[in-house]
Amino acid sequence: MKIFACTSCDYHSVTSKYTCPKCQQGKLQEKEVSTKGTVYSFTDIHVAPAEFAHIAPYTVALIELDEASVKVTARMDSEVAIGDAVDLKGLEEGAFIYTKAN
Amino acid sequence: MTNVYVHGVGMTQFGTFVDRTMKDLLLDACIQALNEAGNPKVDAVYVGNFMGGSIYNQEILGAIVANELGLGFIPTAKVEGACASGGIAVRQGVLGIQSGEYETVLVAGVEKMKHASTADVTQAINAAMDNDSNEKRAGLTFPGFFGVLANRYFFETGASKKHLAMVALKNRENAIQNPLAQFRKPATLEEIMEARMITNPLGLYDCSPMTDGAAAIVLSSKKSPVHVRSSAQSSGPTQMQDADDLLSIPAIRESGRLAYKKAGVGPEDIDVVEIHDCFSMTEMLAIEELGFFSKREGWKAIEEGRTKVTGDKPVNTSGGLLSRGHPIGATGISQLYQLVHQLRGTAPNQVAGNPRLALAQNLGGTGSYSVVHILERV
Repeated sequence: MKIFACTSCDYHSVTSKYTCPKCQQGKLQEKEVSTKGTVYSFTDIHVAPAEFAHIAPYTVALIELDEASVKVTARMDSEVAIGDAVDLKGLEEGAFIYTKAN
Repeated sequence: MTNVYVHGVGMTQFGTFVDRTMKDLLLDACIQALNEAGNPKVDAVYVGNFMGGSIYNQEILGAIVANELGLGFIPTAKVEGACASGGIAVRQGVLGIQSGEYETVLVAGVEKMKHASTADVTQAINAAMDNDSNEKRAGLTFPGFFGVLANRYFFETGASKKHLAMVALKNRENAIQNPLAQFRKPATLEEIMEARMITNPLGLYDCSPMTDGAAAIVLSSKKSPVHVRSSAQSSGPTQMQDADDLLSIPAIRESGRLAYKKAGVGPEDIDVVEIHDCFSMTEMLAIEELGFFSKREGWKAIEEGRTKVTGDKPVNTSGGLLSRGHPIGATGISQLYQLVHQLRGTAPNQVAGNPRLALAQNLGGTGSYSVVHILERV
């Protein structure tokens, strides 16, 4: 998975920024890390906006990557609990779809 | 620096008003505030509004107010800052007076939501998220964000769904005494906990409703018994995955810090509070971020009843967004409506001991904007 790391401090993010929001000096550089991670928290969305109503209820989780201090918001393919080991299943219309790791 | 004072406040009933137009609600609140202020000459108008364009097809609200009320060809503007639109509009009025450009400013806020379907309103509210992101495409929503946050909060503290329900129950009990509130029907803790799930663990009563309503305030450099002691605003991460600490909303924390610094007071000096409880979880977090209680311990204060009208830090004596209602653009101004009445001694759920300092905190997005105003009885 592509993440962004600051050239002058320890800031990491899954989203790019013009300058580092932490030290406000460094630039963010692309870095490749494993997609494996752990569920930091989650919710089950029962009431969805019009564009997602057809798949409700669905689970959205905040996943902490194993190889970098980065969190990623993803849709899960099943229910999860905090601490579950997960991995990327694929991309769907720009969304990360994660699944429980074996 | 020029001091700014409150000269009048106005507020419509909050609720479902399919037979009243947005203009009708907006002008009603403005006329109440102007009458209370003694109908002064107004130098500028700011209107807080979020979805008038997207679901009601009505903009130019500032000019409509000036024209309909015959205020003259004065400068006006609509201010959009998601759910903080009202608070940011008030701040624009304060800054306009402090700059010396205006002596007296009328600030109003309005929203019409109940004519539209829940799916359409949810979609319109999603405009306050960063829609060009993998997070939005994953299907995260506003209540979804606070659901994720609540599950983590439970995981790290001793809090549970019962504590969220206690926030919702407190605000409902306060709203019952507020004649302008949307929800005045009593509810029980059990009812709240067993209500339909929206985004686990948040149920129906944990989420603020769709509401029609308006509120207004007249500010001036001329002296009055209610002084705007400070006005502060901050921004923060627009995506959940960008949060450094999920259990912190930096915009709330920073706007509070700046407001205290400008006012020369601390959280311990504040007598009565209106907080942006868009969700019960948000109130639990905001009372920590504003320094009223320690980090990760807001739930204990709620359990001990410290945020009730009779507690040492009364929060949302109006009923809050959860039960007073949340007509988005009007919310930040309706908070000040309640606090001005608290300082005058005329509020529903009047707190004891003649409160002197009152704090309002208005949030936009999932932490994108936060505005804090501290009012003082002088």
